[in-house]
Amino acid sequence: MMMTTAAELLVRRDAGGIAEAVRAGAVSATQLAHASLERIAQTDPRINAFTDVTARRALDSAAALDARLAVGDSVAHALPLLGVPFAVKNLFDVAGLTTLAGSKVERGRPAAAGDGPLVRRMQAAGAVLVGALNMDEYAYGFTTENTHEGPTHNPHDPTRTAGGSSGGSAAAVAAGQVPITLGSDTNGSIRVPASLCGIFGLKPTYGRLPRNGTYPFVASLDHLGPFARSARDLALVFDVLQGFDALDAACVNRPVEPTARTLAEGAQGLRIATLGGYFTEHAQPEALAAVARVASALGATRTVELPEVARARAAAFLISNAEGGALHLPDLRTRADDFEPLSRDRFLAGALLPAAWVVQAQRVRRWFARQAAELFRDVDVLLAPATPCVAPAIGTEWIEINGQRLPARASLGLLTQPISCIGLPVCAVPVWGCHAGLPIGVQVIAAPWREDLVLRVAHELQQQGVATAPVAMMLEAAA
Amino acid sequence: MTPPEIEAYVDAAAAALNLPLSAAHRPGVLHYFALAAGLADLIAAHPLTIADEPAEVFVPISPAGHGAA
Repeated sequence: MMMTTAAELLVRRDAGGIAEAVRAGAVSATQLAHASLERIAQTDPRINAFTDVTARRALDSAAALDARLAVGDSVAHALPLLGVPFAVKNLFDVAGLTTLAGSKVERGRPAAAGDGPLVRRMQAAGAVLVGALNMDEYAYGFTTENTHEGPTHNPHDPTRTAGGSSGGSAAAVAAGQVPITLGSDTNGSIRVPASLCGIFGLKPTYGRLPRNGTYPFVASLDHLGPFARSARDLALVFDVLQGFDALDAACVNRPVEPTARTLAEGAQGLRIATLGGYFTEHAQPEALAAVARVASALGATRTVELPEVARARAAAFLISNAEGGALHLPDLRTRADDFEPLSRDRFLAGALLPAAWVVQAQRVRRWFARQAAELFRDVDVLLAPATPCVAPAIGTEWIEINGQRLPARASLGLLTQPISCIGLPVCAVPVWGCHAGLPIGVQVIAAPWREDLVLRVAHELQQQGVATAPVAMMLEAAA
Repeated sequence: MTPPEIEAYVDAAAAALNLPLSAAHRPGVLHYFALAAGLADLIAAHPLTIADEPAEVFVPISPAGHGAA
């Protein structure tokens, strides 16, 4: 009977609600860990989100939490993520697991000696790690069509992609396997899968969260962040994850700026505008409809434009290509055939880019950041589609956007790439009803360091019922 | 860059970096290099001034125990 309760909690409540249930004694951390492991066992053969399940560790961690609660440990009782199961993209260091970053190349390498900082912070907040998640190899992709591990399937329609590169992270949350996951976003790898899987994703400001203890892709552009089924959960987790770490050269030494306590302020008093131009020209009708619905709910009638967005996207592309290629050059020299066929030739080409192109890209990037800063003098929050379209079928090679035939895999990031190029904080919020059966995300964007604003707006949209992240119904029926 | 220029550059740069390009990989590499070249043309055409420095900034590292890194 209690196991049924834990299983129901897992798919019906968000992480904050689950922690409250543990705190109230309605369910134990151990029961939740079992429920998560059972749901993974039931559903993952169809989803393929997990590459490792850390069952022993999960049950030991949960038992330790329950033991602390049993003796009246008030510190344990107050933990914000008490007993909440979570999982991480397999580029996060997890003690005892080899950090694969989706690759075959890393498989023979030693296991991580310890957890990365963000995994440690989650555990210190009471969360229970249940495993590591599938991704595009070395994070270079938007579809999690991983040839070594097999593709991750979209829980809302398993014939379709979950998005990527953090596809396992998004699918695990949409499938109700865990309420929280962590992923990374260099050009859209949190926001794209959040959009296609219909869940909330937060890409914080560049430099906010430490990235040491994860496998890098593009040091100039890499971000880490959480996925969840509510904006409240994103805020709870983001607050737990914040804090400077000098071992990440890009991490900025700022005080922790909590966001959960200001969520209820909503969108009141915020100047909100929709991004036009490039962002409407590269979106299909369902993506534009989702933005219009969000704008209407927020009373946002203005449309504004950022200049030279295509050039910003080009800059992010070239920086990623060059840094990614250079990072993997030693393995590309000796074992190129072991790389993911879908990205190998891009990595090889990236290793050859002239330095002048990359330096120019970094200069254009700074210019574009200045233009955005100018725009943010007059507006607090910007809205744009997260992806040009809903989830394509796995294996799709081409999509059509505004009459243009474009390569599907690269084009899923057309709308996220210019924003991460300049490190702005973004919450991807899931919108239903703009397509016959699939969700699509909207980017809620703010000036640097204003994660509080994007989370307030996301929370407001959820309160209004405009943004929702239900667990996939098809799985509910089959489970 | 024209297709022959791309082929010449890619082969020369790969040799300079001691990066072998197999016959199976070379067409894909040429394709993606051409894509990058097109995007490089796009940003090269963007007017900048000497005040527009690269976005990357190096942060000097202090010895442990002597303030922030």
